[in-house]
Amino acid sequence: MTDVSTPSSAVDQEVVLEARGVCVSYGEGTNAVSDFDLRIHRGEIVGLLGESGCGKTSAALALMGLARHPGRVSGSVLYDNRNLLEMSDAELRDIRGRSIGLITQKPRQSLNPLLTIGTQISRVFRAHNRVSKEEAQTHAIELLEAVGINDASRRLTAYPHELSGGMAQRALISMAMSSRPQLLIADEPTSGLDVTIQAQFLDRMWERAQATGSAVLLVTQDLGIIANYCDRIVVMADGRVIEERTVREFFLSPQQEYSKRILAVQSADTTTNPAARRLEGSDALVEVKALSKHFVLPDKRRLQAVQSVDLSIPAGHAVGLVGESGSGKTTVGRLLVRLLEPDAGTVLFAGRDITALDAKAFRPQRARMQIVFQDPFDSLNPRWTVDRIVREPLDLHGLGRGEPASNTTHAEKQQRIAELLDLVGLSPDTRNRKAAALSAGEQQRVCLARALATQPEFLVLDEPTSALPPAARVEMVKLLADLRRRLGISYLFISHDLWTVGQVCDEVAVMYLSQIVEQGTRAQVFEHPSHPYTQALLDSVLLPDPTDRRVDRERKDLAGEIPSPVDLPAGCYLAGRCPLVEDRCRAERQELVTMGDGRSVRCWKVAPATRSAS
Amino acid sequence: MTATAPTVGHPKRPHRLIAAARRDPLLTIGLCIVALSIFLALFGTLIAPKSPTEPTGAPSEHPSLSHWMGTDASGLDVFSQVISAPRTDVVLAVSAALVSSVLGTLIGLTAGYFRTWWAEVVMRISDVLQAFPVFILGMMLVALSGRNTGNLIVALSLLYTPIFIRLTRAEVLTQRNRSYVESARAMGNSEWKIAFRHVLPNSLAPSLIQLSVTVGFGILLTAGLSYVGAGVRPPTPEWGLMISSSANQLILGEWWPSVFPGLAISFTVFGFAAVGNAIERRVGG
Repeated sequence: MTDVSTPSSAVDQEVVLEARGVCVSYGEGTNAVSDFDLRIHRGEIVGLLGESGCGKTSAALALMGLARHPGRVSGSVLYDNRNLLEMSDAELRDIRGRSIGLITQKPRQSLNPLLTIGTQISRVFRAHNRVSKEEAQTHAIELLEAVGINDASRRLTAYPHELSGGMAQRALISMAMSSRPQLLIADEPTSGLDVTIQAQFLDRMWERAQATGSAVLLVTQDLGIIANYCDRIVVMADGRVIEERTVREFFLSPQQEYSKRILAVQSADTTTNPAARRLEGSDALVEVKALSKHFVLPDKRRLQAVQSVDLSIPAGHAVGLVGESGSGKTTVGRLLVRLLEPDAGTVLFAGRDITALDAKAFRPQRARMQIVFQDPFDSLNPRWTVDRIVREPLDLHGLGRGEPASNTTHAEKQQRIAELLDLVGLSPDTRNRKAAALSAGEQQRVCLARALATQPEFLVLDEPTSALPPAARVEMVKLLADLRRRLGISYLFISHDLWTVGQVCDEVAVMYLSQIVEQGTRAQVFEHPSHPYTQALLDSVLLPDPTDRRVDRERKDLAGEIPSPVDLPAGCYLAGRCPLVEDRCRAERQELVTMGDGRSVRCWKVAPATRSAS
Repeated sequence: MTATAPTVGHPKRPHRLIAAARRDPLLTIGLCIVALSIFLALFGTLIAPKSPTEPTGAPSEHPSLSHWMGTDASGLDVFSQVISAPRTDVVLAVSAALVSSVLGTLIGLTAGYFRTWWAEVVMRISDVLQAFPVFILGMMLVALSGRNTGNLIVALSLLYTPIFIRLTRAEVLTQRNRSYVESARAMGNSEWKIAFRHVLPNSLAPSLIQLSVTVGFGILLTAGLSYVGAGVRPPTPEWGLMISSSANQLILGEWWPSVFPGLAISFTVFGFAAVGNAIERRVGG
């Protein structure tokens, strides 16, 4: 009964796992998953798509006979002609880990903090194979190397807290892969990772699947991931499978209304964006010169977060600041609205150096510049209602534009709150709710309403979309582009999500390890990236287009991860990861050089320093 | 009036506390004990059938219908003393718990939020206070300041304040790193305003849980200090004092003058601990 469509012919037809009529229920009432049917063939990567709460994680776990407490799984899951749901615990244990591997969403929480990575990987391996400790150890090293971890034998002795998120996720895939399972279930394995690390990780997973012939069930909300890595797609909504087709067919002609909608939302076109025009002749609203900031770590080491950054944001412009986590872009954002004090450099706001003002004199200026943070739930006082949250800036500054707060009446504030909620697209009945009762998208709109309350001229948006699910992300981007057009406000848009930046910004600055490495108009940076880092960053964007898959392209990968800003490399900071690296790169610091077309690049191979004089 | 008359206004719903108590038998028992002890603290001396301070029977009478818990070696009615004692024990413990929680929360807030050098000094002082055994320190403080109710409250408050400082400070340290605090700063709030309006209300849960538990400990300590003679003076009806004066009689088989006040202490401490435990589960702290 699952033959809704035929899987692509390239896939081996041998069925690895078949689910028939699987239901998962939590207590009485409706099922989280109902009548879930799925066949997974050998060597196939199946994408399971759906919004959060649609039951995709419950369905994926049910395939291993697992359910979160107090869930109950019914139906049948056939593996090797036996029903997993009727097996004894001992039989299930044997299949889990050995035949079916699982990678969960939060890598660090899935690893035991008390044991080294090596111990954990070899334990899983030894649970299913009769091998000595030494053999298991050797196997663990091979596995870590296979997922691209450099210096694997040393990493074996690392504890989970010593690893970055990407590294922990790769340790987890090693563990899941250790017994060469025939099926790997990966539940949003890359949520929360940088695009570069996400692409690296998925590449490795894809390669492993190709090499070992194991099947993968990839649970995700991201059509980009589906388009680039999956052969077949299963779409879920409200606990049911509503569509199941090959990926190419799906992208060409989705059948269901829901699929059409989600596809339309996620492949929104960048070129029609009205924000793309470049405004001429406007003065700089925010002018940053030679800004530097370092932090001292608890062990007294010095972490250089930002190093001589120059940035100019003309009134009404949106400048994007992109880079991996740890590049210092968030620190720049905080320095600009003076949530941090710089070590050196100046921040001119409307021609006035705000770093020179004392804290009390600066406070009224805050009405003119605001910031929106990454995690909307964390940004809202959990005990306050939306009404009170949005009223706070009005109580402090009035309606903005320099009048004392006491001039504003209660009625004016009430009216302004209603206006603001309408402006950010929230219904009036959210007013009396608290943050916990709102969705992530709504929470971020509340943050935005609060930031706009005093009619600021400048807004720092620090990853405002990255904690949102894809559909809400697209909505938020549209809203931000729209608000800028209507209010004439300037943005510094900080993000590691290049698609989002492309939608909102006219200019883009790329940061890497405390420095700006490339800066130019959006077209310059996105269409003709010249710095190798920018190229790699753009290359790791997963577009929802199955005809241009990343796995089919020749890749411009960066090796490894961003180095720690505690011990900066001697020469070019990218030298350790750059595909174009030469000896000169390792020896010489690179200068940011402005080229003929107005863009600046920090790489001697692209922009030779000698030309800067001309 | 008909039975089908539409309800006007709010539908009749039991109070939140009652609804919670129904689901949680431990909380029910705890609340009953706490309510009873507060009731006795207010009215215990008034409803006592006999005088708790004057002999009302023969010495060392067995429990009987006229003396429900018997009489002690001086002929005082044990039941009347047991229900009059909360006036001392519960009032002392509740006052001390309130004073120390308010003081500790405020100090913990400032120490955790501002993190200046004096915050370090405060923390080290509370380390020292906490390093001493509570009982010994309590005896020392009372010995230094004199045995009266006021001094006892001060001594107990001083002993329990460091716990509240530590709990609040730990919570403040996590809250101050959350984005809503930074948002409040970006909006132009002064640091004091952020500390009191944003961080404080979000850092109260651990103190609230501790408050009830501290009352229980306070009762135990009051009784303990009185037992060793460093608490209230006789003939004030007080559980520790009662046990102390009748402990010698145990050997003669006269168990009632010491066992009943002992049970009273156990039940009261258990009651406050159960309420604290229920609050902890509800606020998830």
